[in-house]
Amino acid sequence: MSTSILPGRLTAADVAAAAPQPDVMPPVRARRGFAGFMRRNPTIVFGGGLLLLILLVAVFAPLLWTTDPTALAPARRTREPSAMYWFGTDMLGRDVYSRVLYGARVSLIVGFSVAFFSSVIGLTIGLVSGFVRWADAIIMRIMDGLMSIPSILLAIALMALTRGSVGNVILAITIAEIPRVSRLVRGVVLSLREQPYVDAAVASGTSTPRIILRHILPNTLAPITVQATYICASAMIAESILSFIGAGTPPIIPSWGNIMAEGRALWQVKPYIVFFPAIFLSLTVLAVNLLGDGLRDALDPRMAKRV
Amino acid sequence: MFAYALRRIVATIPVMAVVALFVFSLLYLSPGDPAAVIAGDQATPADVERIRQSLGLDRPYLVRFGEWAWHIMRGDLGTSIFTNLPVSTMIAQRIEPTLSLMIITLILAVSIAVPMGVTAAWKHGTIIDRAVMGFAVLGFSVPVFVVGYVLAYVFALELDWLPVQGYTPFSRGVWPWFQNLILPAVALGGVYIALIARITRATMLEVLQQDYIRTARAKGVGQRGILFLHALKNAAVPIVTVIGIGVALLIGGAVVTESVFAIPGLGRLTVDAILRRDYPVIQGVILLFSFMYVLVNLLIDLLYTLFDPRIRY
Repeated sequence: MSTSILPGRLTAADVAAAAPQPDVMPPVRARRGFAGFMRRNPTIVFGGGLLLLILLVAVFAPLLWTTDPTALAPARRTREPSAMYWFGTDMLGRDVYSRVLYGARVSLIVGFSVAFFSSVIGLTIGLVSGFVRWADAIIMRIMDGLMSIPSILLAIALMALTRGSVGNVILAITIAEIPRVSRLVRGVVLSLREQPYVDAAVASGTSTPRIILRHILPNTLAPITVQATYICASAMIAESILSFIGAGTPPIIPSWGNIMAEGRALWQVKPYIVFFPAIFLSLTVLAVNLLGDGLRDALDPRMAKRV
Repeated sequence: MFAYALRRIVATIPVMAVVALFVFSLLYLSPGDPAAVIAGDQATPADVERIRQSLGLDRPYLVRFGEWAWHIMRGDLGTSIFTNLPVSTMIAQRIEPTLSLMIITLILAVSIAVPMGVTAAWKHGTIIDRAVMGFAVLGFSVPVFVVGYVLAYVFALELDWLPVQGYTPFSRGVWPWFQNLILPAVALGGVYIALIARITRATMLEVLQQDYIRTARAKGVGQRGILFLHALKNAAVPIVTVIGIGVALLIGGAVVTESVFAIPGLGRLTVDAILRRDYPVIQGVILLFSFMYVLVNLLIDLLYTLFDPRIRY
């Protein structure tokens, strides 16, 4: 050991004896195939798998031993869950199991649509705001204003003015979510504009639209994807809240919020009417959130295991 | 500092102006005739006309906005279409339960979430950390009313420890008042706790890697002293910021929580107003909530200097 104190005279033995240096980069384990992917991203697999399962349930609801979710049968109302009525029946005799399964369709359609539309619109606004200086000030003041209205209240206010329909619910929640996506994209764009490769592109005479398309846009996709999953989750919660308080999808459509709203009057004696849609809603939102967390960790390794 | 405070206060004016303009314009954004939508399907043409006049929809947009904004600034939020009472009176009658619920939730959430986040950061990578993170994901995923119903079912119906629903005014005693708010506050606090705990943990993890933490450790400061005196103080700014941003969650959640627990607050008022399409009330409540939200975040901005003397303006 004594010789190694002098610089430049490390022996092989010293190297072997030295404490292992902390790796800056995590060791790469190039496992291939599904098993490897699963080992690296357990949350993506679990969240995505659960979401896929719910998606399949929603798509194949008619085949899963359901009956007509809107069929009234006053003779068999408020039956407890049994072999005949798995989740019981509500006060109008409708089969809660069928209603809950069909309800998955509404939640997923609203969640995915809001995530898609608010991302696309937010991306456009964010790109404009990040590149057009004079527009930036105006757009951001408007977004600041909109963001200071709690988003669910904004959606409620919009819904109060239109007739309840799935399309209007999607529109209202999308409008409420746009400011957040725009802010996120603008932030990413502003930091990307400082990158050397953007300077290089500018210096070599690349046109602005081409810079946006080739250099900026691809780099905003990862954060937007992560954000979109969180928006999907919060849109599903927002839809159920709107329906629950009577400002969402029309009561004829079996959405989870509607089922819970109808079960509310009876929940002290027949809690199952509220609890079954509640469990499905929570599981679906959990699945999407886990998928989002997993994607964030996979797409942005610096953030992994931190937040 | 004073100049900064003044600048920050002035900066909220355009924000509030945008909010006011938007809330006002909502009426005009609706597809079709807003007076007809508000009047509902069974309305006669005379009803529609009456509503059109009471909302001022028969006059030009900008004139109407000027009038409306002028009234708002003098505290006049208009008159309810349904009850014919001033909106400000209706809000004043309903504000106590909502404020009580929000304040109790805020105190409860902060006093649970911050120690949770600190512990998770301290025990980073252990089962405690995982449990906190798992709870945070659950908190984000389980909607307020689901938590509310489960709590009410278990603690009120099955165990009979607490009242199921309702509200007792503060003037009728602190304990009855508090008793009625425990379950709603826990239900409403879920998401908020998850949010604060997550940010606290993330910020603390960052701060705990700083050199001055190692210095504190080297000079023999105990673990608790390091966590709560040295680290938490330096992590305060992001935590306090997220507490302010999270107030939006409280406001949105209060609307639902009040429905679940039958609390006669602003949330109930909003829901009733929506069902009756009582637009002046909806506008008034949204304006009030947004104003509260902006005010809370303004206060927090001004508080930054207290937590972090490096911030000088």
